[in-house]
Amino acid sequence: MRKILLALFLFFQIGTSPIFSQDYAAFSIDPNLLSNANAVLRNQSVEISILALDKMRVKTKRVVTVLNEHGEQHVQAYDFYDENSKIKSQEAIVYNSMGEEIEKIKEREFDDRSLVGSNTLYSDNRLSYLNYTIKDYPITIAYESEVETNSTIFIQPWKPLGNYNLSVEQSSYKLVNPKAIPFRFEERNLEDLALEKNNTTSGLYYKAENISAVENEVLSPDLSTYTPQVLVALNEFALVGVEGKAANWKELGKWQYDFLLKEKTELPQETILKLNELTENAKSDREKAEIVYNYVQENTRYISVQLGIGGWEPMLAKDVDALGYGDCKALTNYTKALLESQNIPSYYTVVYGGDKTNIDPEFASMQGNHVILNLPLAEEDVWLECASQSNPFNYLGDFTDDRKVLKITPEGGEIISTPNYATALNLRESNVEIQLDESGGFSARITRKNSGIPYGNIYGIKNQKKDHQKIYYRENWGHLKELEFSKIAFENNRDSIVFTEKLEVKGTKLASKAGNRLLLPVNFLQAKTFSLPRNESRKLPLVIERGETYKDYFQFKLPAGYKIESIPEPVTIENEFGKLILKTSIAGIDETELKVERLLVLNEGNWENSAYIAYREFMNQIKSYTNQKAVLVSN
Amino acid sequence: MKHFYFFIISLFSVCLLQAQDYKFGKVSEEEVLEKEHPEFKEANAAILFREHRVYYDIQRNSGLRLITEVHERIKIYNKEGFDWATKTISAYQNGTETEDIGSIKGYTYNMVDGKLVDEKLRKNGIFKEEASKYSLKTKFTMPAVSEGSVIEYTYTIRSPFVTSIDDVPLQFEIPVNRLEAQVKIPEFFGFRMHYNPKSPIVFPIDKKRESFTYNYTQKTRSGQRIVKTDYSQESIDYMLDVYGFKRDNIPPLKKEIYVDYLQNYAAYLRWELQYTKFPDSPIENYSRTWEGVAKSIYNDAGLKQEVNRTNFFDTDLDQLLAETKDRPGKLAKIFTYVKNKTTWNDFIGFQAENGIKTAYKYGKGNTGDINLLLVSMLRYAGFDANPVLVSTKAHGIPIYPTRNGFNYVVAAIEDQGEIILMDATDKNVAIGELPERAMNWQGRIIREDGSSDWVNLMPTVKSQNTTMLNMQFDEEMVLKGKSVRNINGLHAKKFRDNYVGLANEDYVQVLEKNKGNIVISDVAISNEKAIGENIKQSYNFELRDAMEVINEKIYFKPMVFAGLNENPFKGEERSYPIFFDFPSSDSKTINLLIPEGYEVESLPESAIVNLKNGEGVFKFVVSLNGRFLRIESSLDMNNMVYTSLDYEGLKNFYGEMVNKHSEAIVLSKS
Repeated sequence: MRKILLALFLFFQIGTSPIFSQDYAAFSIDPNLLSNANAVLRNQSVEISILALDKMRVKTKRVVTVLNEHGEQHVQAYDFYDENSKIKSQEAIVYNSMGEEIEKIKEREFDDRSLVGSNTLYSDNRLSYLNYTIKDYPITIAYESEVETNSTIFIQPWKPLGNYNLSVEQSSYKLVNPKAIPFRFEERNLEDLALEKNNTTSGLYYKAENISAVENEVLSPDLSTYTPQVLVALNEFALVGVEGKAANWKELGKWQYDFLLKEKTELPQETILKLNELTENAKSDREKAEIVYNYVQENTRYISVQLGIGGWEPMLAKDVDALGYGDCKALTNYTKALLESQNIPSYYTVVYGGDKTNIDPEFASMQGNHVILNLPLAEEDVWLECASQSNPFNYLGDFTDDRKVLKITPEGGEIISTPNYATALNLRESNVEIQLDESGGFSARITRKNSGIPYGNIYGIKNQKKDHQKIYYRENWGHLKELEFSKIAFENNRDSIVFTEKLEVKGTKLASKAGNRLLLPVNFLQAKTFSLPRNESRKLPLVIERGETYKDYFQFKLPAGYKIESIPEPVTIENEFGKLILKTSIAGIDETELKVERLLVLNEGNWENSAYIAYREFMNQIKSYTNQKAVLVSN
Repeated sequence: MKHFYFFIISLFSVCLLQAQDYKFGKVSEEEVLEKEHPEFKEANAAILFREHRVYYDIQRNSGLRLITEVHERIKIYNKEGFDWATKTISAYQNGTETEDIGSIKGYTYNMVDGKLVDEKLRKNGIFKEEASKYSLKTKFTMPAVSEGSVIEYTYTIRSPFVTSIDDVPLQFEIPVNRLEAQVKIPEFFGFRMHYNPKSPIVFPIDKKRESFTYNYTQKTRSGQRIVKTDYSQESIDYMLDVYGFKRDNIPPLKKEIYVDYLQNYAAYLRWELQYTKFPDSPIENYSRTWEGVAKSIYNDAGLKQEVNRTNFFDTDLDQLLAETKDRPGKLAKIFTYVKNKTTWNDFIGFQAENGIKTAYKYGKGNTGDINLLLVSMLRYAGFDANPVLVSTKAHGIPIYPTRNGFNYVVAAIEDQGEIILMDATDKNVAIGELPERAMNWQGRIIREDGSSDWVNLMPTVKSQNTTMLNMQFDEEMVLKGKSVRNINGLHAKKFRDNYVGLANEDYVQVLEKNKGNIVISDVAISNEKAIGENIKQSYNFELRDAMEVINEKIYFKPMVFAGLNENPFKGEERSYPIFFDFPSSDSKTINLLIPEGYEVESLPESAIVNLKNGEGVFKFVVSLNGRFLRIESSLDMNNMVYTSLDYEGLKNFYGEMVNKHSEAIVLSKS
């Protein structure tokens, strides 16, 4: 009996809550929700109805009180649409700070624009959005919309706290599944929520109240890793009319293989013959694969064209072969086809490119925004970024390294990880010979080698115009004054994946004059540090995504007539965050040379919020110790 | 004999050059084999040939059409040049009529196994997109492009908007080997041609007249009961103005990192419609003077009507001004009232989009709505107030008198021969100041009688930024001190734009940034919301690691965090002018108490550096009085615009300042 009552009560609550929540006066917001907040989500209710395998309706209501101009971005009064998803209705009502309605904006007054970016050749995505000038803060905007789509493969998750500096008064989520299509859902980080829920086989219901805003902090984890969410996916679904069934990654991968990838790797005979010729003398599969990758890089280019099953289907390999371009899906599939022609198996692999984001291993649904290629060779797994015309073979760089990805095989999907670039491999190694002059100026020969992640961040400089290269170095080495360049040369070793910079430069005022002394900063190139704000009440954990290693060797030759009066003491700091070893020594026959050896290691890792202060202190120590000077005095 | 050979060789190479065939499809092996541009070695791509033809076409069904035909042949040297293989053509539509982009034809040429092979651009490489209500885009990307490819394409734009001819580009970011342009205009249209005054390159144009006969069939019907149709051949003879342009080796537009609107500096031809004179119709004159343009905007675009609209705000304004008798007081009240009452909707324009009455009622509008409302209120209150037409920075400086030359309006009052400008769309500008977008050269003031004049929009008063640091070392050699800063004018506006509304702890973070190992406390800011008033900001600081002790000597940079550490001018040279935001006077005073037990061993020397006849002055004055060290560093920049010729001077000038600011003092134990 109690159960029935409870159900009735819940039903009543759900049915009537909109009527009770019409008080949008700004002063009625709980003061606890105002701290750190630029806006307050007063009421968000999303109702997703699965009307059929290939028909879904999403009703959204989003009421946001904007507290200041930074809060405007949270209004989000818009919906996307394209050929396969249509906006049925859209409306917005604006309330003043007293909660009185001041304006109503009808659907036809919404603005419309194409979402084709400047880098995209074609996409049919469009946006219908509210363009409203806010006059006074606080103001409340209530947006309501209804969107219908034929793709049920993407079910919007419930993420009540989707942004920094936004607090939530009330957020609810309802999945209505009258046909009882089997579905899965997964709850994350709901422990600390005041939560109401009612889940059955024919639907879900969640409601949360009073969630405080989160302030973004430097070097902190991604918001979605610690904020509440409920993920939902149907086990039987449709993507732009193509139906499917999948309850886990294996099945979803299988479906993607069967409906999006299969039978797209046919190639013209002449291309195969050409490849056969190219790989004729190759001794191993790895060597062959390198030749194939090189062939793709030389003969194609990246062009973003979002066509085919909602942008999820790659172009045919033979079309890429003829056109010589494609997007990441097309180029990956094309490379796969070419490898196949050489009897080298490879796998189309879906990934989130950019910041380290995993394809969720625990929850199978359409995820990812990029595609790369995985080759399980005998000695190791090789990874290819096929959308790049310049990446070396088996180099992913920081766009897709160290994260969970979905590898698609004919048998099904599999979650695996891309390689991590370890701290010791992310190496920048410099060797600099410096000749000083009496006025404090210098000429220097700089050799710097970059490998690991630093390789990917620097090698593009070789294609820049000379003027821009000079500006790059002047900006990065701002402490070296009036830099002039007599030589700028680069060596890009794509086999060993090392990029070497070779420079000959001249500059003024490296050493500052003080009477008959020269004050010489012995760290010719500055040590890498993060600039961290003082924050005694850090709330979020500290995350260093990638470790880095810097080895520097500076050799100074004194101007004629000068001798060394003093040199900095050696420094060794080592802790959980990394280490700094700095050693200056006097060298040369007449003791007219200074040698400086520096090792700086910044570890990757996750630490509790309390570690922030110590980490900042470590950065300050590095700055301070690498700012020490030697004193030269004229005879 | 040697000479003779040389002669033959050079003659031969001239022949080779001339033998270049620019007919569509006649791409040569040499062109595909070329590895780098012979003259501009760094070029990623080059336009081997470009033909741009503009003419009018008369058709019986559709009437007059303006036709633009473009033929381009582009060489791609390397992967950085691949962007040139994708082309976007923009067309205009206005709801009823549309420009039509068609006849797209293209091929890519490559050398495959020693043979020249072409690949056709097919339909699947061409995409159309409706970018907005007014803009259509056709994009295509060429097939089979790799390093060395030559691509060639043609397309045609048919436009119903016959009185506006688009700019004919003469220069690009890549070199052009051969460019031919031709514009044929029938005598029905009087166009005047203009070069881009910002481009240093002016190419000569051939102009000639041709006669032309247009034949058409006239259909006449006669008779009452038996209808008889006669077809007769008719013809009109008319003259054509033909502008021709042919040129080899056009240098690329140099891309520099610190230039915003690069295309503003490219060479092009612009077409100004002066009149139309159709057969059997009177001449219609479009040619204008600035006086005429101003007058027509004032009368026809509704400005006159708007600024004279009152009564809807009369009571409110009477009440507002009831207590205020003096004119400056009234002016301030009205300006603040309009700023508080209305919010700018981010749209620019000299016309009132919604009308000032609606803007007043709903509290928002475009620049026309808000500033015309201001003019109207000022007039009501007895000021000699008028609108001033402006072209924003992004819009550029107008080349010839046309209504399109202006796109913005501000308000002005005239008082004893002095003009005071106002813009109520920006909450942080004071009376007499303009937001950056409107500070562009000259504007046109239009008075009640329709007469107009140029007024200067550039700020003439120097904005001040004064900082004083009083500091001393404590026992642990931590530098402790207080910073007091006073700012006015556009410096104060900038401050308000950036920091007003920032929470205190966030502002402390902003202040501590890039100042080393510092702790800042007791931040106080006054007048931050009193627009037009000086802002005073002060804080206490504790700076660690500010000095070094080596062999019992203290080495210390006295400018600490207040100095300029890096020269902002990093480029080797410059091809474009340099703009400063506003004339400015920046001064920094350091007062340091030398620690007990130490004496000064050496000090930086004082210096004065002049930039170009006093357009800029840097002064650095060091004085020691007992234990009190005082450094006064000031930078006065009196001019806002410098030409590329001044670049080196500016760079050296700032270089000197950086040097002075990084000099150290040495203290030794006494």
